[in-house]
Amino acid sequence: MPELRNVIIFTVGAVRYALELRWVREVVSLGFVTSVPTAPTALGGVCNLHGAILPVLDVGVLLDGVPGLPARQGDGALVLEAEGMVCALRVDQVDHVASLHESAGDVIDATGRPLRLLDPGRLLHRALELVAGEAERMG
Amino acid sequence: MSGAELDFDAEELAMLRQLFRAEAHDALETVTARVLAGGSARPSAEALTEMMRVTHTLKGAAGTVGLPVMVDLSHRLESALAAVGREPSGWLPATADLLVAVIDALRGYLDHLAEPDTDARAAQIRSQIDRIARPNRRPESQPPAFVEALPEPVLEVAAEGEAGPAPPGPAPWLHVEVGRIDDLMSSAGELLFDRTRIERRVQLLRTLARDLSRTRQTLHDALADDAADEARPGLRATLVDAEAALAGQAALLSQTTAALLDEIEALRRTIGELQRGLTRMRMEPARSLMLHAARTLRGLRRATGATVELRTAGEDTEVDKAVAEHLVDPITQLLRNAVAHGIEPAAVRAAQAKPATATITIRARQDGNSLVLEVGDDGRGIDTGALRRRLVATGRWNAPRAQLANDAEVLEALLETGVSSRGEADELAGRGVGLGVVQQAVARLGGEVTVASAAGKGTTFTLRLPLSTTLAQAMLFKVDGQVYAIPNAHVIDTAHVGAHATSASGGHDTLPVVRLEQLLGHGAAGERRPALVVSFAGKTLVCTVDKIIGAREIIIKPLGPLLAPLTLYAGATISGSGKVQLILDPAQLVRRAYPEAAATALAGLHDRGSSPHVLAGRALVVDDSRAIREAMTSMLGSEGWIVDVAEDGARALQMTRQLRYDLVVTDLEMPALGGFELIARLRGDERSKDTAVVIITSRANPEHRRRARDLGVRALVAKPITRRKLLEALAAR
Repeated sequence: MPELRNVIIFTVGAVRYALELRWVREVVSLGFVTSVPTAPTALGGVCNLHGAILPVLDVGVLLDGVPGLPARQGDGALVLEAEGMVCALRVDQVDHVASLHESAGDVIDATGRPLRLLDPGRLLHRALELVAGEAERMG
Repeated sequence: MSGAELDFDAEELAMLRQLFRAEAHDALETVTARVLAGGSARPSAEALTEMMRVTHTLKGAAGTVGLPVMVDLSHRLESALAAVGREPSGWLPATADLLVAVIDALRGYLDHLAEPDTDARAAQIRSQIDRIARPNRRPESQPPAFVEALPEPVLEVAAEGEAGPAPPGPAPWLHVEVGRIDDLMSSAGELLFDRTRIERRVQLLRTLARDLSRTRQTLHDALADDAADEARPGLRATLVDAEAALAGQAALLSQTTAALLDEIEALRRTIGELQRGLTRMRMEPARSLMLHAARTLRGLRRATGATVELRTAGEDTEVDKAVAEHLVDPITQLLRNAVAHGIEPAAVRAAQAKPATATITIRARQDGNSLVLEVGDDGRGIDTGALRRRLVATGRWNAPRAQLANDAEVLEALLETGVSSRGEADELAGRGVGLGVVQQAVARLGGEVTVASAAGKGTTFTLRLPLSTTLAQAMLFKVDGQVYAIPNAHVIDTAHVGAHATSASGGHDTLPVVRLEQLLGHGAAGERRPALVVSFAGKTLVCTVDKIIGAREIIIKPLGPLLAPLTLYAGATISGSGKVQLILDPAQLVRRAYPEAAATALAGLHDRGSSPHVLAGRALVVDDSRAIREAMTSMLGSEGWIVDVAEDGARALQMTRQLRYDLVVTDLEMPALGGFELIARLRGDERSKDTAVVIITSRANPEHRRRARDLGVRALVAKPITRRKLLEALAAR
């Protein structure tokens, strides 16, 4: 059974997620979030991060189609970088960095509680699909 | 000569004068350099000839751009130089100083053309020049005002009409206004948007190719299943053929789209190179910024009596000119702040055994894609304890936060607007004043400010900026509480639109209305709204908004790959307070306003120039004055000529060997290869022996006319050139 080292564990809503640290560029507190009309709900808005435009994504919509809280200035966020794309995931709380074990297909932490391990590549592709789909619909 | 005779419109004339000014500064610089090279000694004959040549060129150009007083002044200067050249005794030790003074005065005159006292300035320069020409007379004995008589004879070399071997001059520089490069930059930026649009279409094509393959497969399968059905063999044969053809076409389509995507990738690289190249053109050393800082500090020293010196490092670091211009104010502010609040009084410094002279250091360096500027002082530093108390006292932070925050975070709070600009008359309040301005200016450039401070040791502000920026003019407006921008080049007017109108009348047409409050907001219509009249690719529409903010210079930031499919936006910009503002793409607004014409709108972009213009032929303009080249290009261009330009005879000769010209318009006196020499060479070449040649000159004497006739020159036109004179020359046989 493979062991995952350096995984960041965080909470959004009632769900605990895990993400390998190598995808996380930084943990930030969001600046002013500008909403992007005509964008799908998965895109909570855009932020200024060190002078670059950073899309803020809602992990709940991306994975389950269930929107979480809207992203606001001061919210915590993880800045992800994968597949040549950079985005921020709004989080309620960053718990800690840990090593994880896989058990019967589920990812569990040291206390045996299950976590959802995120695949950032798939997450970003899903986001891109949603954005492109919405853009197509808007014409 | 009056402006009306010039046949340029106001804008063109302004542009030409701008060019002329740059050129004149160069010419005058050359004269100064020649004078200074000799100290107070009389310049060599060769140096005098060179000085006369540039002065002469200046005169011709001044006439063409409609500056008669400048014609007079450069004419007088040229004559004075000729007088000095004729009489060895005409050069006094004071002449060098006088010449430099005249040149400086001329430059001053050119820089203040719009001011009311130009006549007085010109009169003064005239009398100065007179003292060069007639050093032994009293300045009162002025000749009457400008007379057009030419001073003959001039130096032999000049009389030959050729300048001889080119004197060693500075490396060739091209004078380009920053604005022009900016225009190119923004065109390159537009290219980027165009590429994104094309890319999206190609992606669609690819999907289409896939769908087509699938359809073919369905057909193929149906035919295979139905193989036994021989009911209608004719139809079946047709379908089988069609299926085969479809397979081939689908494959071709998918290959073509794949190739297109490759080509778009190549285009992307080229656009990137173009932008980088343009950015390099705008780069200048940080030195000028530091010189400006040194001047500011000198002023501050005088004003406050502070004992402080400036140290600089990294003067050669290259900075985008556009960025540098926007850094002047923040740096001034930081210097002011350091002198007023950072540096302790002399007594305090002495008590702490610090050097009596305080030091402010400005360092510039490049770090990856960033420019880093540090402005530091060796003063008292910032008291973070007091700042913590202030943050809590003013209610900005709560006590636990102030407790938990580290010093860096506390210092960062100082940069936020309003922290300590509340009028408290203590040092801390003073430190914060103006820092908000610094923060905003840097944020607007897409950069960041950080501050580090050590008690008793000093404070350093670090400005981290993108190495280059794409600045553009945009119209800012508000919809549903958010600020948006649209490229100002496409905003042609503002208007008011009634609550429910779906079209607005503008000029002769009825214009469609795009209600941005519905597209971008929650669209509670029901009132008259301000609106922007937007024009793109020949289509005009009206966009209603909540509020028009006005035109601003913005930096265009790309939205990144994730947001690229949202074609409504052409990018984003960052406001002074660090908020992201979206830029709307006028092309998409047109698509919404004219859905049926969307396809043709793009095509319409490219047939603007298809006016039924009759081509007169290909002309080559040869003159060492850029202002004259531009003026001639404009005049000939409007007569239907395709115009190329060359800055001297040698270049012109090269060009005529590569391309056949129907007309060559040339100056006589030019570096490298003069006009007559050029014409003689043209006549000696089979390709150009019959080319029509027109000479433009301000030195038309009978000898010149004779030579021109011998060389089969069609006409000789005296500078300043007007459209009428040129047309007559072209009509001559």
